[in-house]
Amino acid sequence: MSSRLAPAYLILPSFFLAAFIILFPLWDLSQLATHNVNRFGQIRYFSGFENLLAVLDDSLFYQSLWRTVLWTVGVVGGTILLSFPIALILNEDFAGRGLARVIIMLPWSVSLTMTAIVWRWSLNGQFGLLNKTLQDLGIIGEPIVWLASGATAFPMQIAIGILVSIPFAVTVFLGGLSSIPADIYEAARVDGASPWQQLRTLTLPLMRPFINIALVLNVIYVFNSFPIIWVLTQGGPANQTDILVTYLYKLAFRFGKMGEASVVSLIMFALLLAITLLYTRMVIRDEQTR
Amino acid sequence: MMPLNGRLAAQITAASAAALLLGGIATAQAAEVRVTVAEYSSATGPYFQEAAAAFEAANPDTDIQIEVVPWDVLLQKLTTDISGNANSDLAIIGTRWLVDFVEQDVVSELDSFMDDDFRNRFIATFLSPSVMGGKTYGLPIAASARAMYYNKDLLAQANVDGPPATWDDLVTTAKAISALGDNTFGYGLQGNEIETDVYFYYAMWAFGGSILNDDGSSGVDSDAALKAATLYKSLIDDGSTQPGVTANTREDVQNLFKEGRVGMMITAPFLSSQIKTEAPDLNYGVAAIPSGGANGTYGVTDSIVMFDNSEVKDDAWAFLDFIFQDDWRSKFTRTEGFLPVNVAVSQEDHFQNDEDLKVFSAVLPDARFAPVIAGWEEVADTTVRALQRIYLGEAEPAEALATAASEANRILGK
Repeated sequence: MSSRLAPAYLILPSFFLAAFIILFPLWDLSQLATHNVNRFGQIRYFSGFENLLAVLDDSLFYQSLWRTVLWTVGVVGGTILLSFPIALILNEDFAGRGLARVIIMLPWSVSLTMTAIVWRWSLNGQFGLLNKTLQDLGIIGEPIVWLASGATAFPMQIAIGILVSIPFAVTVFLGGLSSIPADIYEAARVDGASPWQQLRTLTLPLMRPFINIALVLNVIYVFNSFPIIWVLTQGGPANQTDILVTYLYKLAFRFGKMGEASVVSLIMFALLLAITLLYTRMVIRDEQTR
Repeated sequence: MMPLNGRLAAQITAASAAALLLGGIATAQAAEVRVTVAEYSSATGPYFQEAAAAFEAANPDTDIQIEVVPWDVLLQKLTTDISGNANSDLAIIGTRWLVDFVEQDVVSELDSFMDDDFRNRFIATFLSPSVMGGKTYGLPIAASARAMYYNKDLLAQANVDGPPATWDDLVTTAKAISALGDNTFGYGLQGNEIETDVYFYYAMWAFGGSILNDDGSSGVDSDAALKAATLYKSLIDDGSTQPGVTANTREDVQNLFKEGRVGMMITAPFLSSQIKTEAPDLNYGVAAIPSGGANGTYGVTDSIVMFDNSEVKDDAWAFLDFIFQDDWRSKFTRTEGFLPVNVAVSQEDHFQNDEDLKVFSAVLPDARFAPVIAGWEEVADTTVRALQRIYLGEAEPAEALATAASEANRILGK
């Protein structure tokens, strides 16, 4: 009996640690979310669903939610699509590969806020480097004030998001590629498989678990990512680049609505949890059927 | 002999131990006063350190701890500190936040510490925003107003004699300067981040509008507001402003002004000290904000408050009394480029004779302060959103302002 329970006992310490780290903030947040809270986080009285209803009544919430979807899909999709070929290239043996790997990894070593601040300067309409470069190349005539409207600012933010997410995805993919034994490619070549067939029938299926992990982790990081959008536009102009985190930050620290901010925070947690669970289930089912 | 010596030694040891213990208690009794100050410039930290050192020299029993916090994160830091019950004893805050602090009972009233003599050190206009319900909750530490900066060379090139006296003049002047080409822009219009709404109020006030109506409801859908918004939109459409208004913070417009590429802009006196160090050759002048029938400028004060949970209120007050002496105030006001809040400081030669500061002092009677209402930041944000939509051409001024007003009224409970 005891020997059967032994593994459970061994897991308990880690379980409690994880539970403390995850459940305690959740408990705290749900307290704030169901109470009337002043701007200093002091709880005043139980207010039930008042905060939830206030959030659901705010059109900015839905706009931010929709933009969060665009932001996450855009950044994660772009990252995976770009990182895969990059990893394939970096996995080949060529002169200067070490240098190329370092260059690809560099954005990772700079803090996200720093990167965003540098981009803020580069995107400046009057003095920005990007406009200067594009004008010198003859691509644009008049300088573009990139951050003046959501139509130009948001795609730029997604592009920067992709740029800073590439190093992580490439690292995961390179790890995956190095785990694929070389002899299966040799065998395929002997059988006359073209490089495209090798990629489609060997590399992609074997890389699936690595793509999955890169997808899930990137979705979690990007969904919650704050610095790029905050530094570049603070969600503006006219809330055109607000995603849920920046909306939440303004609610909490500008308007002092701690209760409503907690509601948004819980909704974000629920969404992420749902996405992750759904995805893991899909992956598991997929693997069982194969 | 030996035992006696031994006993003596024991006694001495015990006595010194007691002395150490007493000494320990004595140092523990030295009050520690923590002060959170906003970083107005790189000189702010050193100034307060110097003041703290001078105060400690005179009051060896008090230990002053200065914490310098950048403006942008000050409110967030104070909020977090207060919610964690880890706040300092004294803190600088924007006076417009004071109403929230008072409502939540986190700051202490200061009248019991003050006598009339102390109160009379201040210019009444600047002390009044910190008084609520007849009680004083803060002391004005910094004050500022807004006036119009203009580039004399650009005006001369555009054949304009002097700064515009009315908004109609401003429109023609801005057009003439923008027509000079060469990447020069007539009117620098701020359209992003802090005080975007205020930049619009300048025109709204000049046309006779006000932020709140007499009954406390929003005034941003008034005729004056509509006139101001329409005017700004037409300036943008005519190319009389810098391009991409909604990307330009006050800082950005100031940078363009310092580069000599913007003809006119409205901002605070600290631009003068920036120009002195960063663009000393710029030929500029300062004038009152153009009139549109009425006159108005924005007055701002920051206050230093004492938290109600402080356990060293008397020592904290002693430090306040110390830094509100005229020579310390004078030094602070000069290095930061603020307007004097103390009567005696305002009478110093520096403030009486400086060309720029004279203009700022002259417009003070027309100064309006941010309304003292809870939730003001959120009301301001709805106004900014409406303005940005107008500037971007996504909404008609009348429609956007009406939406902002009804949103503001909902927040205000009107």
